[in-house]
Amino acid sequence: METSPSRSTTRAWLAALVAVSALALVEAASAIVAPYRAPKDQDWRAAAQQIRAAFRPGDLIVAAPAWADPILRVHLGDLIPVEVAGRMDDERFERVWEVSQRGARSDAGAGGTVAEEHRFGALTVRRIQRNAAAVRYDFVARWTDARVTRHGARGDTVACPLVNDRLQCPDVADNSVRRQIVEVDTRLRVALLAPPVVQGTMVIEYPNVALGRTLVVATGLHNVWKRKEAQGPVDLRVVIPGVFDGTFTTRNDDGWALHRIDTSAGAGRVAAVRFEITSPAPQARQFALAAEARL
Amino acid sequence: MKAPRLDARRVDWLITLALALVTVSWLLAVEGKQGFGRDEGQYFRAGERYWGWFEELGSNVAHGEFRRSFTAPVIDHYWSDNAPDHPVIMKTLYGLSWRAFHRCHCTGETRGLHPIPVKGRHVTLPLFARESTAFRFPAILFAALLVGMVYRFARAWLSRPPAAAAALLTLAQPHYFFHAPISCFDAPITTMAFAVGFAYWKSLRSPRWGIAAGVLFGIALGVKHNAWLMPFFLVAHYLWMRRGDLRARRIPRPPLAFVCMLVLGPVIFYAHWPWLWNAPVARTRAYINRHLQHEHYNFEYLGLNWNNPPTTTTRKLIRATAPFVETGFTVPVTTLALAAVGVVLLARRRRGDPVAPEGPTEEPAPEDSKPTWLRPGADVDRAPGAFLLAQTLGPLAVLAVPSTPIFGGIKHFMTAMPYLAVLAGIGIARLIPVLAGVLPATRVRLRRVAPVALAALVCLPAVTETRRSHPDGLSHYNLLAGGFAGGASLGMNRQFWGYSVLPMLDVIDRDEPANRAMYWHDVIHDAVSMYKRDGRLSMGVGDTGFGEEALRRSQVGILFYEKHWTIYEGWFWESYGTTKPAMVREREGVPLVTLYRRGQP
Repeated sequence: METSPSRSTTRAWLAALVAVSALALVEAASAIVAPYRAPKDQDWRAAAQQIRAAFRPGDLIVAAPAWADPILRVHLGDLIPVEVAGRMDDERFERVWEVSQRGARSDAGAGGTVAEEHRFGALTVRRIQRNAAAVRYDFVARWTDARVTRHGARGDTVACPLVNDRLQCPDVADNSVRRQIVEVDTRLRVALLAPPVVQGTMVIEYPNVALGRTLVVATGLHNVWKRKEAQGPVDLRVVIPGVFDGTFTTRNDDGWALHRIDTSAGAGRVAAVRFEITSPAPQARQFALAAEARL
Repeated sequence: MKAPRLDARRVDWLITLALALVTVSWLLAVEGKQGFGRDEGQYFRAGERYWGWFEELGSNVAHGEFRRSFTAPVIDHYWSDNAPDHPVIMKTLYGLSWRAFHRCHCTGETRGLHPIPVKGRHVTLPLFARESTAFRFPAILFAALLVGMVYRFARAWLSRPPAAAAALLTLAQPHYFFHAPISCFDAPITTMAFAVGFAYWKSLRSPRWGIAAGVLFGIALGVKHNAWLMPFFLVAHYLWMRRGDLRARRIPRPPLAFVCMLVLGPVIFYAHWPWLWNAPVARTRAYINRHLQHEHYNFEYLGLNWNNPPTTTTRKLIRATAPFVETGFTVPVTTLALAAVGVVLLARRRRGDPVAPEGPTEEPAPEDSKPTWLRPGADVDRAPGAFLLAQTLGPLAVLAVPSTPIFGGIKHFMTAMPYLAVLAGIGIARLIPVLAGVLPATRVRLRRVAPVALAALVCLPAVTETRRSHPDGLSHYNLLAGGFAGGASLGMNRQFWGYSVLPMLDVIDRDEPANRAMYWHDVIHDAVSMYKRDGRLSMGVGDTGFGEEALRRSQVGILFYEKHWTIYEGWFWESYGTTKPAMVREREGVPLVTLYRRGQP
């Protein structure tokens, strides 16, 4: 014998019908409307014109969300040199131009105040004023100041002189330190590429560093294929005589790790800063580092 | 004169045919806007080379040297291409279709781009203006076959409007639609998975379908290795359906379908692939190992680049969610909601009840039949809910195992999607009487069209989303994810294998003389050749090759946005001395391909 459904069951199915029908209408409408919500080329051109008119050297221009960055660079790439696109972090920039869509905000603007804001179609241009960190010494920009040596397990030391675009250690072709664009955690950075060596230590020493209150050191492993190939950690020992002596370990999943070292004990002094790079499994480890001494 | 009356059976066949024709027409109308991926470029080449074997066979027969074509060197000369990667049923069909239907310009300037020597102008039935369309035609027919089969399968349980909606919702899924017209295997194996499942289902009450299941399984093995998994999902259902035997501590009878799959499957697989004939054991082992030991390609999921099995518990858990989250973010949301309604209905169904209200009752068991291995479902409810559950969740569950490579995303568990669409059809069927219940009894005409109207309404978002997604179905994400932009913000995979360059070809073609030293990044050389053979690219456009050195030799180059290719962008910046692209190809503001030009200010 058939039983008729209860009232609540009938209501539940009716609610399902209404919900599915409403969802169908909303989804279909969204599919039609959504393409028109995307920024158009004229929006980008107008935003770029606004930024160009007020741009100052040293300004940072970013897209929010970050995935729109290639389109941003089509319009303003000439104002974003490699050093800025591959910056260590955002701290040194006082003025940040943020080109935003869909309500997104960039990390680079975090903590700042919006000094001006303009709307261009689907894009919003904001100038964000931040308290910038003053950089006293940029280790990547001044890479030719560095003295590089390779220390063997038996205490032997060899110097790695400047040869063309790198500080090249003898005997082994890929045993060098150089400034280059690296890919760490699928983002590009301008850094020192300093792969570790088998049973040895790569030492990079900057003899005359103007210290500030903080030394920020960024580390990471370059090259997605090498990260796929190997798992070994890389240790970076940072030595500032009388100020700091510590080690940071970098693994595949660490991404671009920022390490802040308190150097207030040596602030205002000129000191030697030494980086010692070792790894228990150095195969396919493309270690990259960048550092800035900041006030 | 009286109009001829159609009986119900004929009406269903007409609807089946109409659905298939709609599929073929839709796919043929839009496939030309979709570029060639790395895999498709290789299958064009392999398919044409396999045709070369047939061509030589014809020549050998004419010269009375029939056996020559079956010697090891001749077989290997043609059939080693793309071996041991994939069996050859689809590639052979692509090659034969090309040979039969292309418009031959083969003795012109593109003559040298063919993988086999062109001996003269081909006599063909020139249905298609582009050679690539002729290659793709069999895949399109397979998609039409699937859509037709889904209707036939669903029709056994549902009235016409929801059954037809299920068929349409199978096609109207942006990611499936992307794969449906291309000369690859993912859409065809989806067709074959459904065909095997359909035959198995029928075989539970009819022995001849048991034999058909074996034949279809053999063909599926010749299409793609996903076929290896099909028996597991069928066995899971079979054991559930015959759980009474297990409770009574009886071993269920092995059904005819499984016996045929076991016997006919390997025979057909071996027979169809000439490359195996010379060293069957060693080469079968090589084929199996190729896939059991497949490397993990790079793939973006939830903002992370995955290219190795995860090692930490957190990463394993994230990885395990991939097929479910990808399904939730790519299948049209209305389709998912309807499937959820269908699941609720099946969960509440009692044994022997029809699957959906007002739908046909379960196909009755033959009266004279007792349960035997020939009709193992004759004495029990066939458990349609368990069947659909196993077929839908099975492929997703396999891809959820953290050690399984996840590259390819949806396409690797796309065999689940037709069954998901059937569930959605069941959901529609449940809502039709609810709608009828709220319509006034006096509005007869309205009540008559209501089922069709509801089916059309719920198909509308899927069709609209699919249309919106084309030709960039891989980059498309649904309403829940927020479309193209939402997918990018969530860190979901945007594309793979370099298909998305096609809309830029005009720009590249005009960029003389820089394009003589063109860096194509992830566009395989075979794909570049096919663009030229199709007349979409000038013969003079160059190809500096793959990798960093090729990029450094180039004057103009492209970059596809996938997380792991970021390193290439660094090489562009370094080598070209600029961060400013000349052009970005985007969809709804989401970058897909960037073009850099050396010396760009």
